[in-house]
Amino acid sequence: MTRFIEVNSVGKTYPGKLEPVEALRGIDFTCNEGDFVCLLGRSGCGKSTLLQLMAGLETPSAGHIAVAGRELDGPSPSASIVFQDHGLFPWMTVQKNVEFNMKARGLSAAERAATARRLLEMTGLTGFEGRYPHELSGGMRQRVGIARALTTGPKALLMDEPFGALDAQTRGKLQDELLQIWETQKTTVLFVTHSIDEALLLADRILVFTPRPGRIAADIEVDLPRPRAPESEPFATLARELRALIGADRDFD
Amino acid sequence: MQLRRALGLLPLALLFLAWEISVELKVYPPILLPPPAKVAMVFVEDLPTVLDNALASVERVVAGIGLSFLVAVPLGLMIGRYRVLDLLTDWSIQIFRSVPPISLIPLAILFLGIGDKPAITLIFLSGLWPLLINTIFGVRGIERTLMKVARAARASEWLVMKDIVLPAALPAIFTGLRLAVGAGWLTVVTAEMIAVKSGLGYMILNAQLTFRSDLIFAGIVVIGAIGLLADQLVRLARARVCRWQEGLTAATE
Repeated sequence: MTRFIEVNSVGKTYPGKLEPVEALRGIDFTCNEGDFVCLLGRSGCGKSTLLQLMAGLETPSAGHIAVAGRELDGPSPSASIVFQDHGLFPWMTVQKNVEFNMKARGLSAAERAATARRLLEMTGLTGFEGRYPHELSGGMRQRVGIARALTTGPKALLMDEPFGALDAQTRGKLQDELLQIWETQKTTVLFVTHSIDEALLLADRILVFTPRPGRIAADIEVDLPRPRAPESEPFATLARELRALIGADRDFD
Repeated sequence: MQLRRALGLLPLALLFLAWEISVELKVYPPILLPPPAKVAMVFVEDLPTVLDNALASVERVVAGIGLSFLVAVPLGLMIGRYRVLDLLTDWSIQIFRSVPPISLIPLAILFLGIGDKPAITLIFLSGLWPLLINTIFGVRGIERTLMKVARAARASEWLVMKDIVLPAALPAIFTGLRLAVGAGWLTVVTAEMIAVKSGLGYMILNAQLTFRSDLIFAGIVVIGAIGLLADQLVRLARARVCRWQEGLTAATE
């Protein structure tokens, strides 16, 4: 196992309207290749900010981030990002959307088509190639987003509350599918969520964030066999523990 | 649906009726206010005159608005995309777009003489601003997530312009085109009354000098009809090109 992502004393401060807003302070963690890590916390705790930093879409105000042994100075070619609002181009068909990241890398039309076909099949989208995003359900759209992210063969998937806007049933289905993809593709997954159950269902490891400024309050290994049952005793115990951690500074609200 | 479309004819029918009644009641002598039948005869007896002049006007508008399109769309995409260009041009655009093209007729004649050159220049200017402003507006409206997707994919600037910025701005560009065609059509008729010796504007003014009020009325009917036709054509083109937008907007055309 090699260290795949290294985050060293990272801080992020935004220039606010009245005074600077400190979104993150003193974030330290490393994650190995193949890990499934959830960043868990309530809204405004900086977990999404950290994901944007690791994606190279924003730059830290302090500290360093390295992905695949290389100091980040912009989006890394070995990581792909999946957004909560899926980020599909409404004027492109499913096919074109899935091909976009490959097109950006200058792959030939034939290569793009072959990879797209494989991933559309894997995500259950075969037959929908010619549809536009608005003709699809929320779950289908996010499948397109995931398929697009996988086209470049990324070593890491950075997922920003990807299932947050979905109904419970669809979410459960996509969680299962994501676990399958993770197991077969051996990708590292960093997954932002505010749902304790979702984090416990998916992750090997959960980083618990607390707000003002965003910090990692706890780093918890989840050593439960998959598939996990929320009704089981160890699951429920961990959930209680996490709830206590997240709610620790509820007095601030 | 057909019946509802026909609803648009109702005000026109009422106007026609009012016209007939006014003629019957002799509100004005027939030499000033000709009966509809006499105006209709113009399209039989003077058809070549009407057609030649209509064609001359249409050609000028196509040339002028075509030029505005070629200049305004690329320029608007750039200004919308790059903040520096926006800062550089914003005040100038706001100043120059407030100048009615008609008010430039004297200058246009002084610098460009009489003929197509001043007319097309004025039409170009009247179409330039609505197209430019709407294109910029369209680029501004791009969802932030989509630009993040492009950055994360490390898409080239050219690909971003071609596959994201332009298609995202297209609906707004078509709105600009509708306004531009309308403005260009207004300008051509006015310009032809002063700066050119052909076209519908010239025909109308000339008809006044020869006491041919029937020709004036016929000219106005043709101007209105072509205006309607041009607008419908742009709408049709928009529906074709922006097919992906169907079902996305509340008011579908």
